[in-house]
Amino acid sequence: MNNLCADIGWQSYNKYGETLCGDNVEIVDAANGTKFIVLADGMGSGVKANILSKLTAKIVSTMMAAGLQVEDCVETIAATLPVCKERCVAYSTFTIIALHDNEEAEIIQYDNPGVILLRDGGHYEFPSQEVVIGGKKILKARVKLQENDVFIMMSDGCIHAGVGIELNFGWQREDIISYMETFYDVGFTAKSLNSILLEECYRLYGGEPGDDTTACTIRIRKREPMSLVVGPPSNRDDDQKMMSLFFSKEGKHIVCGGSTSTLVARYLGKKLESTLDFDDPEIPPIAKIEGVDLVTEGVITINKVLTYARDYLGENTMYMDWSSKRDGASQIARLLFEEATDINFYVGRAINPAHQNPDLPINFNIKMQLVDELADCLKKMGKRIKVSYF
Amino acid sequence: MKITACVGSSCHLKGSRQVILKIQELIRENHLEDKVEFAGTFCMGKCQQGVCVDVDGVVHSVSPDTAADFFQKEVLAKI
Repeated sequence: MNNLCADIGWQSYNKYGETLCGDNVEIVDAANGTKFIVLADGMGSGVKANILSKLTAKIVSTMMAAGLQVEDCVETIAATLPVCKERCVAYSTFTIIALHDNEEAEIIQYDNPGVILLRDGGHYEFPSQEVVIGGKKILKARVKLQENDVFIMMSDGCIHAGVGIELNFGWQREDIISYMETFYDVGFTAKSLNSILLEECYRLYGGEPGDDTTACTIRIRKREPMSLVVGPPSNRDDDQKMMSLFFSKEGKHIVCGGSTSTLVARYLGKKLESTLDFDDPEIPPIAKIEGVDLVTEGVITINKVLTYARDYLGENTMYMDWSSKRDGASQIARLLFEEATDINFYVGRAINPAHQNPDLPINFNIKMQLVDELADCLKKMGKRIKVSYF
Repeated sequence: MKITACVGSSCHLKGSRQVILKIQELIRENHLEDKVEFAGTFCMGKCQQGVCVDVDGVVHSVSPDTAADFFQKEVLAKI
């Protein structure tokens, strides 16, 4: 194992007027540490395509993760997929990327637009080998992974974007490569890179995609540990233990909560300096302690971070809010969502007597719930989370 | 003179931001920048009385509505 990990983001636009998408992406972690990412594009559109692609993605990812060969998967798919009455074939194209121990990528492609690999700022053409399985031409490749490699998997909706509207022949793979190369060095997350690509497709289609359009971006990055402490321990005797565990961890340290920061300042023997900058009127100002990367208020700030996290996993409409602002919640969001890959939460269960006032919309149970929900959201973002209670 | 206003969770919900903006404005209007040191602090442990504003060691309970009054009585009068 090395210290690399995969940051993955994917998104689909449905064909204009369809409520179901004919493309599907499945991500499965096999027991041996290999991660399988499958993008399948079912023939046609609507419910039929949706079933075809869902079955394909699910069958391939499950079988591969169980250690079976791609030949077995293809045979199973051919035998399982319902045959389309109009076209008399069962058909779904697919792209598989298997990341073995984050050291090597195995790329298996059947009829989707070729996977794009960006490396060191430019396009990197990797050699593929053609094999025929059950009459189907399948491309296989193996690539040693490097930090900052970006893989882009697409359905043909991407390269057909703008056909006959903005462009005569659609947005060809070469055009997509040069477009995405310009964003390589910015340091965007996989999710942001992927949105950039899909937004452009959507624009070229004039807001009415002529086909289901899906892309999945994988960015190979270094693992980045981070620790966040919120709340003093329920037993005062555990103060020292909690603090020494928290500060013994590698990576950046975030401290949330008034009494928690007082505890931290005392432990470090440093001054706690409050600021009066209200960058977001809803969020209390941050503070500073030498040796801590970020000091914020507790419940209100975490609550806002949770709102951002839910939105980031869903519609992602608040990105502009938190991606540049300087208030505590935005700063935590950037650190946890974009920078960190492994997050240790240290949650103290002391009850703040001042917060047990029925007039206030904050109390102990809410605080515990907020942390649990935030940890869940971060897991869904693909991060490794550990929560320790004190 | 040193004034500290609480920016903890509870006081924040009770309007500490408005209180702070008001006090900052009054300090400017009265040209007291050299005489008054104004800072924020996390929870003072007296949330029931929030918004807590400490003037040279004495904690006062202030709300956005009473901020101007408070400034008159506790700051201007004693400077």
